[in-house]
Amino acid sequence: MNLDTAFRLSSILLAATGFSGLVLTGELPAGLALAGAAALAACLIHALGFGSEWGLFRLSQQTWTGFMIAAFLFMLADLFWLSGDLLPAGLHFLVVLMVQKLFTLRERKDFLHLYAISLMELLGAAALTLELWYAAVFAAYLLTAIWTLLLYHLRSEAEEARQTGAAASSSAQARQPGTITSRFFWSTNGIAIGALCLTLLIFIVMPRIGAGFFEKNRGELIRMSGFSEKVDLGMVGSVKLDNTVVMRVEFPDHKGPLAERAFFRGASYDVYDGRSWSNTLHYRQPLGRSLDGEFVVARDRLPAPSPGLRQDILVEALDTSVLFGVPFVESVKGAFSTVLVDGMGDVSLPYVPAARFQYSVRSIPARMSAGDRGGVLSEYPEPIRRRFTQLPAVDQRVSELARKIAPPAATPREAAVAVERYLRKNYQYSLDLGTVQAGNPVEEFLFVRKTGYCDHYATAMVVLLRTLGIPSRLAIGFAQGEWNDVGGYYTVRQRDAHAWVEVYFPNAGWVTFDPTPNIPLVLPHPLVVRAGRVLDSIRLKWDRFVIRYSFRDQVAMAEGVREQGEAMRTGTAARFVAFLRWSAGVRARIAHLGQSYGWLLPGGVIMLCALAGLGLFLRFYRCSWWKSHRTSGPTTQHMAALKIYNRMLQFLRSRGLNKSSNMTPLEFADKIAREWKEASQFVTPLTELYCRARFGQAPLSPDDLASARTWLAGLRTASR
Amino acid sequence: MFQRLREWFRWLYRYRSIRLTSEGTRYVLLTLAVGVAAINTGNNLLYLLLAMLLSLIVMSGLLSEQSLKQLEFRRRMPDRVFANQPATISLSIANRKTRVPTFSLRIQDVVDGAAVDRGIHLLHAPPRSVTVQSYPILIAQRGLHRIEGIKLLTRFPFGLFLKAATLPIASEALVYPEIRPLPMSLVHDLTTRGHDQTVSRRGPGVALYNLRRYHAGDDSRAIHWKTTARQRRLMVRETEAEDQRRVALVLPTAVPEYARPAFEQAVSLTASLAAFFHQQGHAIRLLVGEQEIPAGTGEAHYDAILRALALCRPVAAASPVPAAMRALAGQTVPGEFTLIVLSWPDPAVISACRTAGRIIMATEHMTREA
Repeated sequence: MNLDTAFRLSSILLAATGFSGLVLTGELPAGLALAGAAALAACLIHALGFGSEWGLFRLSQQTWTGFMIAAFLFMLADLFWLSGDLLPAGLHFLVVLMVQKLFTLRERKDFLHLYAISLMELLGAAALTLELWYAAVFAAYLLTAIWTLLLYHLRSEAEEARQTGAAASSSAQARQPGTITSRFFWSTNGIAIGALCLTLLIFIVMPRIGAGFFEKNRGELIRMSGFSEKVDLGMVGSVKLDNTVVMRVEFPDHKGPLAERAFFRGASYDVYDGRSWSNTLHYRQPLGRSLDGEFVVARDRLPAPSPGLRQDILVEALDTSVLFGVPFVESVKGAFSTVLVDGMGDVSLPYVPAARFQYSVRSIPARMSAGDRGGVLSEYPEPIRRRFTQLPAVDQRVSELARKIAPPAATPREAAVAVERYLRKNYQYSLDLGTVQAGNPVEEFLFVRKTGYCDHYATAMVVLLRTLGIPSRLAIGFAQGEWNDVGGYYTVRQRDAHAWVEVYFPNAGWVTFDPTPNIPLVLPHPLVVRAGRVLDSIRLKWDRFVIRYSFRDQVAMAEGVREQGEAMRTGTAARFVAFLRWSAGVRARIAHLGQSYGWLLPGGVIMLCALAGLGLFLRFYRCSWWKSHRTSGPTTQHMAALKIYNRMLQFLRSRGLNKSSNMTPLEFADKIAREWKEASQFVTPLTELYCRARFGQAPLSPDDLASARTWLAGLRTASR
Repeated sequence: MFQRLREWFRWLYRYRSIRLTSEGTRYVLLTLAVGVAAINTGNNLLYLLLAMLLSLIVMSGLLSEQSLKQLEFRRRMPDRVFANQPATISLSIANRKTRVPTFSLRIQDVVDGAAVDRGIHLLHAPPRSVTVQSYPILIAQRGLHRIEGIKLLTRFPFGLFLKAATLPIASEALVYPEIRPLPMSLVHDLTTRGHDQTVSRRGPGVALYNLRRYHAGDDSRAIHWKTTARQRRLMVRETEAEDQRRVALVLPTAVPEYARPAFEQAVSLTASLAAFFHQQGHAIRLLVGEQEIPAGTGEAHYDAILRALALCRPVAAASPVPAAMRALAGQTVPGEFTLIVLSWPDPAVISACRTAGRIIMATEHMTREA
């Protein structure tokens, strides 16, 4: 491919990369996206040489000016009425500008304008998205930008050289690169890789002094079911087929997946009216903050002796303010100014975060004590009993079933375990519930359909336990999700939304029970799963190390470097002290030997050391001398000259003229002059050129080599 | 402290300089704008773009430096350079890098501390290659012309910066005085006068003296075959002894201040006369001020004459007439004629050399039209 075609192609590709970034944000109207894509495709085809001349649409300057005025007026309308926002309106206008520029690419400044437009598009995309695809678009843009700028520069230089008339004459090879050679191709890609590495380095060390004052998130929130003060039964089933990722959870203290199934609790409900659950303790108050910045949830029980389970949770932009965590959350840490807690112990933010955010949670799982295992109903505090045994009017069959499952002598724990086991064993999990139920959903689940999903199981268990007088409540959140062995974290999706039961015990407090049977997921092909995990892991890292990279990370990194330097310094100092001790010991030993044998032995040791030093010095000196005196290697021109001379010898040998080993090249040329005069006119200058290159190390120009080839060709045509 | 630091930087970069091109200025402004946007929004993707723009600046510096490294230059000056006559200098540029090519190099000569653009534009020098570029120069003044170094300019790789490097690769050329065509009247005069004063004698030379019959012992190479064929007997060619055709050129250097421009004309006229007589095969003797170059022929002698004329300097008019000039009349060899080139009517020289030969006033003959 020649330089000019490559330049035009890379220019169009640069514009296409910026444009694709804009399209992928999904903010461009379909019509505009199609128009831009069509213009790019047309120009690309043209740049590849399937057209007559550059400049597809030969419209007059006035027409283009009119077109641009119309586009500008449309942008104003877009700004004030259609989009109502500067960024979308500006980006729409930018696409129009790009189309106009693509069709009027003639002069150098037109190309520069196109590059500026493409950069603006990439900037616009950066303002509109945080997704992983931006990384791919960015890398592609960097690669294309390097190619384009390099080719633009070479083309400009060639043009300038032509315009100035090239006062100096030079060999044709040196005039310009001409075509894209493989060396040029790989060098340019190498430069792009180098630039990418440098970009990352600068990105890491560049101080983050932005506070995001003017940041405006334009992404859409993921719609969540539940997590409000009142939720209808069946809300979880509506999202059970949705694969959207809602959060990723790392357990810093665990290398692999957890031994027990974890739940990420979001909200809980105390009152059931037969169709929906509601939280009557929704009054929220702010949590206190510890010295290290943790928001601590005050519990009415003693602090647990264990450090608890730590979780780092990255939550997508959800339309809820709830903070999720493994039950039961003890403390929360994150970039928040306030964290609230309600009467049920549910933790939340005072606002719905507009973007993806990260926080850390420490949880203490409830463990039943021996007292709880053998406890009786009379031990429950009255307020708890009153609030969490509330029931709507239920059928007699429900009470009978409860008593049938849990024998009268059973303790609350035994009753809870029996109900949980009964529901798991005798009911089928199904998301296909057919038409909307007309009657009581719990009774329908327990006695008619006997199929349902987590909402039905959990509500049925709460109703059965409350029938028996055991305080319990419904909790909703997410089951632990899918373990990503590539990234070492759990990926939690919408489909992992779950409802379960919390039963109150006088000593342990609330304890989690899950009556829903485990349903094995139908996973796609393992390779697809693996690829998905890798991609998700990359996405998490992208978010962690690029999108969420902050001044705090820079400080932590600087601290790490400082600590490593400190460790190195300490280690070196220790080694130096050890060496000093060793040398002191050696000195003492030498002194001792001196006292015993006079100065003969120490003198000998010193002499040996001096000799060793001298040997080392000579060795290094010779090395440097050899380096400074070695001749530089032959150049490619020299190698070519040698090759041509060897071919000449080979040809002469085939004609019966051998060069004996004791003959110099010039002597051999004289011999040829005597024995084959016609060949002499070619052999003599070729030999002289060979001697000049081989023994004189003289620089050979491409013209010299061309002459040598001509002489060799002439020699081959000479008759003998 | 600041002053010292600035001086230190100046010393460090005495052979390097860098400045923004117009594209580079726009690029830097755009980078600043992205930087402001990144700081305002705190958006890390904008920081990423800013890092990309900055990395291109750094890459630009590294690659341009790489492009300028390990280049070897050899300048070959022409053997004879005459003032106001174009001459060709050849410059051999060897890229000694084993893998990295050099692109977009403008090469300028450094003369008297200033860069002189000769229009040398090397677009591509592959690794381990040698490129030879030749370019014309025109030097107005005779004398020693010194090219102090080579200035390399490159906008590689992205055209954002113009980096310059100065290499102290010096070359010297002795610029001979301008040779101008002599006026026809003077040429005619000189030719006839030369014939008048020539005493022909056989001897080694080039011009034909006589044709005679071959005698035993004659050099067979001297046989004139055409005449031999015509006369049907062996005839040999005798040549005229060249040492008989002699000319002495005299250029007094005592010149008053006002006649200094005329002195240059006199030098140029003397050189032109020397060139004329050299072409005619005369033995030329030169007297320039106190310097005397004995009569001689050949290219080396001609070069010696031109060198003396290139380097001669005018002295104060009050200087005494050199002894060699005073003795001209007495020393004239038979067959030699003397031309005294004057830049001004110097009475001392005129009275001393009146009888020695012909006096030519440079101002009368050395005009552009001549």
